[in-house]
Amino acid sequence: MRQVFAIAGRELGSMFRLPAGWIVIALYLLLAGYVFAQAILIPGQPASLREFFAVSGWLLLPVVPAIAMRLISEELRSGTIEPLMTAPVGDWTLIIAKYLGACVFLLAMLAPTLLYPLTLFLIADPRPDLGPVISGYLSLILQGTFYLAIGLFASSLTANQTLAFLLTLFSIFGILLLSALGPQIARSMPGGWIGDVIREVLSSFSITTRVEDFSRGIVDTSHIVFFASLSSFFLVLAVVTIQSRRWR
Amino acid sequence: MISVRDVHKSYGRIYAVRGVSFDLPTGKVVGLLGPNGAGKSTTIKMITGSLPPDRGHVVVGKADTLENSIEARQLIGYLPESAPLYLEMTPEGYLHFRGKLFGLDRKARRAAVETALEHCWLKEVRHRRVGTLSKGYRQRVGLAAALVHNPPVLVLDEPTNGLDPTQIHETRKLVRELATNRTLLISTHILSEIEQIADRVLILAGGTLRADGAPSDLIEKAQKIATYILQVRRLHTGDDEKVLKILQGLPHMGEVLPEIADRATQVRGWSLWIVKGKPGAPDLRESIGESLFRAGMVVKELRRETVSLEKVFLELIEGSKTLLPEVADAQGATA
Repeated sequence: MRQVFAIAGRELGSMFRLPAGWIVIALYLLLAGYVFAQAILIPGQPASLREFFAVSGWLLLPVVPAIAMRLISEELRSGTIEPLMTAPVGDWTLIIAKYLGACVFLLAMLAPTLLYPLTLFLIADPRPDLGPVISGYLSLILQGTFYLAIGLFASSLTANQTLAFLLTLFSIFGILLLSALGPQIARSMPGGWIGDVIREVLSSFSITTRVEDFSRGIVDTSHIVFFASLSSFFLVLAVVTIQSRRWR
Repeated sequence: MISVRDVHKSYGRIYAVRGVSFDLPTGKVVGLLGPNGAGKSTTIKMITGSLPPDRGHVVVGKADTLENSIEARQLIGYLPESAPLYLEMTPEGYLHFRGKLFGLDRKARRAAVETALEHCWLKEVRHRRVGTLSKGYRQRVGLAAALVHNPPVLVLDEPTNGLDPTQIHETRKLVRELATNRTLLISTHILSEIEQIADRVLILAGGTLRADGAPSDLIEKAQKIATYILQVRRLHTGDDEKVLKILQGLPHMGEVLPEIADRATQVRGWSLWIVKGKPGAPDLRESIGESLFRAGMVVKELRRETVSLEKVFLELIEGSKTLLPEVADAQGATA
């Protein structure tokens, strides 16, 4: 456990020591703040953060790959992976620690946006519902950590950070596209058990439906399990990639 | 402390290391030498646990690097070539990080970091970012990181790379000190360095172990046929024939090569001779000098040519440059 915290702490420290980390946070907060000021902070409108959570979900698309791209790629490029892999650190420990560091950075990036609901609670009348605010943040965290797991896997594949960024971006985009077009594809499927299975898989795979539920204040355990399972799947892939490096 | 047994490693169809075996005891500095592509890095990677052998075993202490990889890695301090570091960290921060990875608690870590900083002359730059340090300092940070958990085994790949002459001298001294109670394996291209600090040399070429022994033993072995350089005054016509006759008449005398000197030397009246003793012959300098003196010859120079480790190294790797067999061929040969 000490090793997990050591690697996660170093990762987090590096993100805050480098300008790139601050630039990512600044850009995200700038855009999120713009959305808050333009779409939410409107006199006479009901106090709701729904638009903010919807736009923030899309903002994660370029932001998360930017956070994740250097996690392993930079170690591979600079050669620091060698002293790390010759230290008594297991491959799982390494991946979990890197993931933890990136997740904490994501939380640190989201933390200042807590000012928005706080502002609404202070100035809006009637006050906004607390349920959708909490579920909205939970949705952002679940989406963000899922995308981070994809990014960590992509980063373990290549020493090129740009490639890792693009791989993550297009993977997330592909999953969202599949998720959005799922119902249409499902409808066009032929009958029979194969069509039924594909329809079932596509409907259960829909991220947009789950995010919609969260935005309405519905916290379904199956949604949490869905994101956690997919994140774990990509973490396993990252571990396998790291292990395979030892065997090359 | 380290036992390497019949390890093989191939990349695709090309063997990088094949059938290498050696033991490294505690208290000795062992130098690993070899030309590029000899299998040095692969061997080091297999010892440090970052690469598993295809066949064979590496045991560090009592831990097999395949079966108890974490335990084996705990015993090793490793300085990779060019000392890769996190440029945004300070030397002190990096050493604390390494200490944590090796499970040192806060108190032990503080003491260990101080010792490592002092050992590697890093105290004055402890709070500076690694990215702002010179190559020499970075190398020293890498060395300190290998030492910080006080490992019983140290594997140093090019430890004096990028250091200035004073630092090179100090690092060699430190390596000697560290070896008193450790197993120390050094890989370097600097043969004179190995000659100075290593108690034993392993020479790899073409993925196989070509030589294993103390530098002096290897030199002695290579010097089985002693070569003497001789310059004799040519006073009269026929002096060269006289010298040749005297030299050929001496016991234990092998090949005598007259008039190797260039034309300018001959014009000045000196003839140069390269004389070889028979295999296992005693030192012939005394008998050569005495017999020529008795014959009234003036000897300007008489010396035994010494073989350097470099020459031994070059002779050993000669002909092995193309010895990187394909896996299938090598397996066929061993079958």
